[in-house]
Amino acid sequence: MKSRDIVIAGYAETKIDFKTGRSAYDLAGEALSQLLASTRIDKREIDGLSVTVALSEAGNPFFAVYMTDALGLVPGWLNLGGMGGCSATGGVARAVAAIRQGQCKAALVMSADAPSSDWRASYGAYRAEFQDPVGLQGPPAMFGLLMSRYMHQHELKLEALGKIAVTQREHALLNDNAYAKFKKPLKLEDYLAARMIADPLRLLDSVMFCDGANAVLVTTAENAKRLGIRKTITPVAYAEVTNFNGDEACPDITRTGFSQIGPQIFKQWGRTPQDIRMFHPYDDFTIAVLMQMEDLGFCRRGEGSKFILETDLSYKGTLPLNTGGGQISAGQPGLASGGLNLVEAVRQMFGEAGARQVSDPRNALVTGIGVIPYGRNWSTSSAMILEA
Amino acid sequence: MSEQKPAGRPVPKPNVYVDTAPFWNGVKAGKLVLQYCPETKQFQHYPRPVSIYTGRKNVEWREVSGKGTIYACTVIRIPGPGLEGRLPLCVATVDLDEGVRFIGNVLNCAAEDLKIGARVKLAWDKLNDEHNYPAFELA
Repeated sequence: MKSRDIVIAGYAETKIDFKTGRSAYDLAGEALSQLLASTRIDKREIDGLSVTVALSEAGNPFFAVYMTDALGLVPGWLNLGGMGGCSATGGVARAVAAIRQGQCKAALVMSADAPSSDWRASYGAYRAEFQDPVGLQGPPAMFGLLMSRYMHQHELKLEALGKIAVTQREHALLNDNAYAKFKKPLKLEDYLAARMIADPLRLLDSVMFCDGANAVLVTTAENAKRLGIRKTITPVAYAEVTNFNGDEACPDITRTGFSQIGPQIFKQWGRTPQDIRMFHPYDDFTIAVLMQMEDLGFCRRGEGSKFILETDLSYKGTLPLNTGGGQISAGQPGLASGGLNLVEAVRQMFGEAGARQVSDPRNALVTGIGVIPYGRNWSTSSAMILEA
Repeated sequence: MSEQKPAGRPVPKPNVYVDTAPFWNGVKAGKLVLQYCPETKQFQHYPRPVSIYTGRKNVEWREVSGKGTIYACTVIRIPGPGLEGRLPLCVATVDLDEGVRFIGNVLNCAAEDLKIGARVKLAWDKLNDEHNYPAFELA
């Protein structure tokens, strides 16, 4: 992200809902239609497409091509994002590179998934022999292991994780797109009373699979101007890592990929975590938010609980956190969830966040997380800084 | 009470993605046999197509003691496929004494006794009358 000539020039998001019975294609169509309406561009201006792999369409090796067909797009650049929750920010970074190389002029980064209606993912590989027999079917148990180790090495205050859940719920109450059933106020007592699902992880530490779609438009600042688009924001720093600690037998599982890419993005940006106006981290579990705060440098390792309890994370606060409610309180639209917090950051920076608008939304840090591997911290981490 | 004999749990199919026969032959013989990289003198688990340390196919299989220390642990309390009749289920990430990590169930262990730092030894979980799966119990 050396120059500032390429921008995000539009966004779209469907409502998040449970068991809609709709497909990823149908949800993507709604997002595209919305984006064309808000940017007032002709669809023929879109000559690049990045699609996030959808759990609900995971059996189709030609998903990205089928998506172009469903949407009537004829791109000169096509990317299939297979990094789970990192695919949206990763898609933006790849679109920036493709535009810079002249492969396309305006790329749509589309994430749509409907796993609560149709689950077609099969991970294969080693899992049937070495993971499934032990009972580790899903992310909650893997995050239970991770959280147990964090608690062993560092002080973890449940009130801090509860504050994340409560704050994000307050934000979801102000978000028209949040899953309707989550739109009930949450108190710290509710969080603490939530049932254990994989010790020490509680139900309200977790997300719930839903359906939904989101998209952003990436193009040059010059092209946005030609298209009559006035509101744009700029990706100014990006880094990612996959298979973090993947060549170690017994790595520290409390150390995330953000400990590696955090310093990289702040070096690119030339500023510090204290200069971040709002934080939109990938939030599949509350402990993941805390660990990212530490590894991205908002506070020191082990001081996440203290930092959370001392910081106003509300949309009115000093470091607004996932102002749309995040996945935890707006619902997790499958692998499209990596775009959920990205779109909220863009919405805030366009000044279109309504009742939850952050004052002076001059910049944002957006992250992604993907895949929980065997015996380690999560595999893929991505982080992007956006400037107004 | 049903008069039917319990069907048991699914037996994993070996060699699906890499050659895991030495592991499963070890299981049959009551041994825990894991991949070893002779160049870097380190074990690795789960089994890979290459050494994760060198990227080369130069990997061997060696028996480990099955003794280790609980590195992380959880108690699964929500139902899921393959979990019928097993809840609450104690799961531990165990750092074996040979310097390799193995995730297994801790058998005959009360949830409150499952603790990081506890020493464990190899045990065998019965999938059915004929097949075992490696697990641990408190040492």
